[in-house]
Amino acid sequence: MRVLIVEDDQETADYICTSLRELGHMYEHAADGKTGFLSALDSDFDVMVIDRMLPGLDGLSLVKSIRSADVTTPIIFLSAMGNINDRVDGLEAGADDYLVKPFAFSELSARLAALARRPPMQAEETKLRLDDLEIDLIKHTVVRAGVPIQVQPREFRLLTYLMRNADRVVTRTMLLEAVWDFHFDPKTNVVETHISRLRNKIDKSFDRQLIHTVRGSGYSMHV
Amino acid sequence: MFNLGRTSLRLSLKFAFLYSVLSAIIFAGAYWFTEYEVRNWLHAQMAADTEVLIDIYEQSGVEEMARSVNLMAAVNFENDRIFQLQGPDGEVLGGNLLQINGPITEQYIAADSVEVSGDTSDEISGYWIIQNAVGPYILLQGTGNHVLSEVLEAMSITLVTGIILIMALGSFAGVWVGRLTERQIASISGALGRVADGQLSARIPIIDAPTDDLSRVAVSINGALEQLENLMESQIQISNDIAHDLRTPLQRLRQRLEKMTRQRVVDPEEAEIALTQTEDIIDTFNALLRIAQLEAGDRRERFQTTDLRSIVTNVHEAFEPSAEDAGQLLLLEASEEPVLVSGDPDLLMQLVSNLVENALRHTPEGTEISLEATHSNSHPVLRVSDNGPGIAHENYEKVFRRFYRGEKSRTTGGNGLGLSLCKAIADLHHAELKISDNNPGLRIEAHFANAE
Repeated sequence: MRVLIVEDDQETADYICTSLRELGHMYEHAADGKTGFLSALDSDFDVMVIDRMLPGLDGLSLVKSIRSADVTTPIIFLSAMGNINDRVDGLEAGADDYLVKPFAFSELSARLAALARRPPMQAEETKLRLDDLEIDLIKHTVVRAGVPIQVQPREFRLLTYLMRNADRVVTRTMLLEAVWDFHFDPKTNVVETHISRLRNKIDKSFDRQLIHTVRGSGYSMHV
Repeated sequence: MFNLGRTSLRLSLKFAFLYSVLSAIIFAGAYWFTEYEVRNWLHAQMAADTEVLIDIYEQSGVEEMARSVNLMAAVNFENDRIFQLQGPDGEVLGGNLLQINGPITEQYIAADSVEVSGDTSDEISGYWIIQNAVGPYILLQGTGNHVLSEVLEAMSITLVTGIILIMALGSFAGVWVGRLTERQIASISGALGRVADGQLSARIPIIDAPTDDLSRVAVSINGALEQLENLMESQIQISNDIAHDLRTPLQRLRQRLEKMTRQRVVDPEEAEIALTQTEDIIDTFNALLRIAQLEAGDRRERFQTTDLRSIVTNVHEAFEPSAEDAGQLLLLEASEEPVLVSGDPDLLMQLVSNLVENALRHTPEGTEISLEATHSNSHPVLRVSDNGPGIAHENYEKVFRRFYRGEKSRTTGGNGLGLSLCKAIADLHHAELKISDNNPGLRIEAHFANAE
């Protein structure tokens, strides 16, 4: 994965770059908006990480400029601005995701992976498969090893999201946003209980476990 | 303060000057026009007299005409009119104009270029002249220009008096208006000065209902000061809250990190705990910021018509399994009809979640918690009620304070900000948050206004 990081704070930039390198990703770092804009136009990235507050050209304008130059690379905003309108502003400017500082690297990395794997043109899938598990997105049915499994609508949404991101880590926050539209962090173990129920239905009576817990990060579906 | 008075005085003098210049221009125009008209009128009069004299000549001959000329010259006052009838050889046959010593230019001759019999008015400085041939004779008539001088004189007097009056009235009005506004401006600037000195409760005294611009400005300023004071109070409150509730966890974190620096090998478990502690501190911090932002109230632009039923249904689906695991029952009661409010769905979701989490956390196993979106007196209402132990009535209002925790809930987790956040969200939506006894248990309701 090739990542462009536009971040003026050297320490944060180093932290992100080092962590990306450890995961085996390529990256390019720009310390201000103008350099970032040139880099964004210059070469092909899988995903861009852009800070909201930048010298030269601010993050919001940078994203607008990149989008108006017909660059469709997924963008994730990083922001130290706690303002509750910022997320919406950021998304309206053309970013695909939004992360508020301070953040854990595992959260950023999971979101980067989820963004970067999006195909440029979302093909209309009707069925998702993983090992012997198959879900039908039209009929809303779940079948594992030929056995139909009854799931609640919300569980279906959760399962769909996990399967779309198979082999990737999805964090609690990502699930809260995608499955429940919760843009805040409930203190109750909402995600954990739903995952546990889903596991009981999907994994319990089968040999191979498909839903895995990734310690300190979130969950991942894989064989 | 006197400066302000002088400012308005200067301003009114400027206007008076401008008015004077304009008046002078208008008067000059009027003078020119008057002269033109007076001249035309006098010429017409002389022409009419000529007609009369021609008639006399044609009917009665030259002697009769000469007599008439002499008569006309005799009846005019102080030689206002001059006449001369000349014979074919230039000899004077009649009239009061004895001799012409200067040139006649543009039908005008200066008074000192003519010799006239009898007394002449001092005010005549020249005559307008017409000359006509009557048979072989020449008739010369002139009218003194003192009419014009008199008109000019009258106009000048009016002009000067007008200017003096305008200057005097203008200055008086300027000083008067200045005094009047000076007092109001003094009270405004006094109040703002006190605010600048840190006395945030200072306000501009407003005596009557605002009638003039300045009073309305004063009312607006008071409104702004009110908002400023609230914001400042909330800022101070937040600083106090942060000091109060973040110091302890920061102290614990610091102790742990200090301990870790003394260890030769870092214990991953210790690091994990330190990380969790950091997360908790960040959570508390974020919650405080969020409350502060909501209280500042800048999110209403994103309000949209929202059905409370979809909010409660979503929250119910999210928390129902957790409730079941804890041995509690989370019931959903949504009205048949839409329960529409104007609001921010994200925030409303958080409001309902916090209320539900609060109920889940503070009630024992076996408690029934019900979540409702309905109408009460045809107004949208959100209701979260439980049949748990409830809280003492005297603590009802305290639960919305930041960091308030009931004695029993000191150990049940949470940062004590959940309900403060609910209050802030409700306030932003102009919804009234009511807490009451559910007999048994606790009932919290948010009463909304209908969506437009």
